[in-house]
Amino acid sequence: MPPLLEIKSLSTHFFTDDGLVKAVDRISYDIHEGETVGLVGESGCGKSVSALSLLRLIPNPPGKIVGGKIFFEGRDLLKLTEDEMCEVRGNKMAMIFQEPMNSLNPVRTIGWQISEPLEIHLGMSREEGLKKCVQLLTDVKIPEPATRVNAYPHLFSGGMRQRTMIAMGLGCNPRLIIADEPTTALDVTTQAQLLELMKNLTRDYQTALLIITHNLGIVARYADRINVMYAGRIIEKGTAVDIFKNPRHPYTEGLMASVPRLDYDIKKKLVPIEGQPPDFLNMPKGCSFHPRCVYVFDRCRVETPELIPIFENHEAACWRNVK
Amino acid sequence: MSKKTEEQIEPRRISRIGPKAILRGVLKHNLSRAGIVIIILLASMAVFAPLLAPYDPNAQDLYQVLTGPSTDHWLGTDNVGRDLLSRVIYGSRVSLTVGFFSVFISVCIGVVLGLIAGYNGGVADMIIMRIVDTFMCIPFLPFVLVLAAALGPGLKNIILALAVLGWTGFCRIMRGQVLMVRELPYVEAARAAGASGFRIMFKHLFPNCLAPIIVAVTISLGGFIMLESTMSFFGLGVQPPTPSWGKELRTGYSYLETVPLFSIAPGILITLAVLAFNFLGDGLRDALDPRLRGEGKKIK
Amino acid sequence: MRKYIIERLIYTVILLFLVSILIFALVRLLPGDPIAAAAMANTDLADKRIMADLRAHFGLDRPVHIQYVIWLKDFIRGEWGKSIGSGEPVMTMFLDRLPVTIELFLGATFWAFLIGFPVGIIGALRRNSKLDAFLTTGSIVGVSIPAFWEGIVFIYVFAVILSLFPPSGYVRFFESPWENILSVIMPTFIMGTGSAGLLARFVRSSFLEVFSQDFIRTARAKGAKEPRVIRKHAFKPAMLPVATVIGLSWGYLVSGAFIVEFMFAIPGLGRMGVDAVFARDFPVLQVILVMVALNVILMNLFVDLVYGILDPRVRVNR
Repeated sequence: MPPLLEIKSLSTHFFTDDGLVKAVDRISYDIHEGETVGLVGESGCGKSVSALSLLRLIPNPPGKIVGGKIFFEGRDLLKLTEDEMCEVRGNKMAMIFQEPMNSLNPVRTIGWQISEPLEIHLGMSREEGLKKCVQLLTDVKIPEPATRVNAYPHLFSGGMRQRTMIAMGLGCNPRLIIADEPTTALDVTTQAQLLELMKNLTRDYQTALLIITHNLGIVARYADRINVMYAGRIIEKGTAVDIFKNPRHPYTEGLMASVPRLDYDIKKKLVPIEGQPPDFLNMPKGCSFHPRCVYVFDRCRVETPELIPIFENHEAACWRNVK
Repeated sequence: MSKKTEEQIEPRRISRIGPKAILRGVLKHNLSRAGIVIIILLASMAVFAPLLAPYDPNAQDLYQVLTGPSTDHWLGTDNVGRDLLSRVIYGSRVSLTVGFFSVFISVCIGVVLGLIAGYNGGVADMIIMRIVDTFMCIPFLPFVLVLAAALGPGLKNIILALAVLGWTGFCRIMRGQVLMVRELPYVEAARAAGASGFRIMFKHLFPNCLAPIIVAVTISLGGFIMLESTMSFFGLGVQPPTPSWGKELRTGYSYLETVPLFSIAPGILITLAVLAFNFLGDGLRDALDPRLRGEGKKIK
Repeated sequence: MRKYIIERLIYTVILLFLVSILIFALVRLLPGDPIAAAAMANTDLADKRIMADLRAHFGLDRPVHIQYVIWLKDFIRGEWGKSIGSGEPVMTMFLDRLPVTIELFLGATFWAFLIGFPVGIIGALRRNSKLDAFLTTGSIVGVSIPAFWEGIVFIYVFAVILSLFPPSGYVRFFESPWENILSVIMPTFIMGTGSAGLLARFVRSSFLEVFSQDFIRTARAKGAKEPRVIRKHAFKPAMLPVATVIGLSWGYLVSGAFIVEFMFAIPGLGRMGVDAVFARDFPVLQVILVMVALNVILMNLFVDLVYGILDPRVRVNR
């Protein structure tokens, strides 16, 4: 069965006053029906831009999707007209954003906002929409949904707003939900609750989920497969188990080592990755990670590695894997 | 805490925009560049008036009354034969002098009061803001009109009238900025390190409040010049025989049908002056706004 | 919400009181004896005894603070006295001229909205394009042109050369609707252009600000098409600061009225005020200034209340 989403060599560039920023540089990965995929990387590596590119929400100027294909349900999204794309957004593919504080319209009620995609895509009337709304609010476990429907966002806590966003995303029963750092702005307890909720809902609704985060703990628990991103490129891909047990890229290795764990010896020091994330305006030649890499050798400085298959369903972009 | 510690806390700029970057940002816009050019031209006109004006602006020639433009008199002559071009050139002196001085005094008063009101709060704030609110209930033009009429004609009185009423806007802006800035963590830190109130006010608070003030000053320069000419138009302000743009315009109005240039020409200059300051103010506003500057950077 | 309204109302009353003191003091600053000025215009009054009588009649021989109290009492009761120059009751003069100025205000606001809103919205939608640059320049020019010069140019072009509109004068609506409109087109347009420029700039920046907000991105991500995003998501939040601008520019409209009525010889409140300043006609001037201040204060109150209605966040925070 073909994948629900096939991204092939997607590139998104930003044309700024200070120069060209290749925020997303020829990334490729797939997502299958009902699967949960994690996209991991540090802040500024381009993962959010790649997600926005999927929905073609990149602000132009200064950004532009310059190449690649995005096959969703068999169609190349990049070839659709804007109107056709609008039919996909919020309907077949939905997105949940990072800042629940700012992502909801302050002058519209919760009910109105959740009901909106239902009205646009499913042709529901306001009354039908609001009824479905109450049901959705119940699904995301917001208490007293019938009253809350008429509330304004500023009355909600962060966790509740994020649940609202989830309800908004689920409304039209999309095939794929993209969650961009869905829990970063929330406290730890709420994070856990929300992720459990998302996992259960996507299982019940049989929706695929793309979780974008810098938090390895989240992807370890919830993702089936993981893509690791660095400086605009995917540098390792594999199942969650593989990536955690056997990271084949120095960056992934470094990420694992830098996360504090409860079962570590207290006296053991955290090992951060040396150096700074690269400046997109001034990328290193060859492998973009080489200035920070402990295993660096000559080939790394000169040639940029592509993703090299190592095991079945496990690839890494590192010359160490080619001997 | 020792004094040493406090001195180690560098007054931080909220917006890391240095003067050079501001200049670059301003010059980027065509409009503000045009504004700067016009201002320089007008200022030169005022400073070098004796060199530029072909005639003595007060020299009357009763044989050449109300002539239209000619090779002798590029803008023609007024109703007592004085060369209009020279009068217009000298008129720039009045407008720019009034503009700069009245804005300068207004800013001084307004910024100090705003700083006190914002930083000290309490009774001082209440009194100052009530005064500001009361003054601002009366629209600027009628207010200045009555005050200028009360003080009488003359350059100094016009400057005084504008300054005495014009500080309120700056006071409000300053107070708003102070309120915003004083909550910032590094001000707390300075206080914790033992800095005195004064020191905090001037070294830490003040520089970060300047951005909107600078914009307001620029735009006010245009506004006050416009008001000066309006007052001259009404017959207040500088007295004959001193030429002033507003006054020439008023005199010219009576002869609109025969010599339209008489009133059109000074008006063009007033408009240019105000326009130039508004363009510049606009450019400054864009250059100083940290949000607008982050435009070209990519999103995470 | 109710608490908010009551608080604002109380403050308004206090403000009015303070303003009345300010106005009274301001007017008293005017040099020159109004009685003497009136006597110069009307030689019947030139007798010393008559002038002394008049002074007593107008209360001008009492100490200033007593004059204030008397005046305040009378003002609230609606006894606005008589014009020192013409002897006409001020109330009559006021009511006679009020509709004229109201008509000018309405016309000016009409022009301001008609020009300001579209220019601002188009500028925001087509930002940084040549059209945007042109519209921005136009807006700034609109604000920068002195009203009296604009008046002169318009009079020259449309009245003298083209003879389309009368160069001055005013015809009451009920006398002749068509001529009324003709006589009012130029003055209202001039009054309106200043506010239009300001409004356009504010609308544009407000829209741009709203468009950069995250919730607009969310709306697009839900599949809303651009017209819907503008209408249903951007419009309401963008209008909030615009309400403030309308309040702000109200003061400018008042100033504009003074100039325009003077230039076009329109018998409105502005003209009344200007004449009173030069004639040192205290009773008239005081009334005009208080009314003008009242106008501004009420407008600001209105804007605050509108904010309270439009922005649900304000209701909670108050």
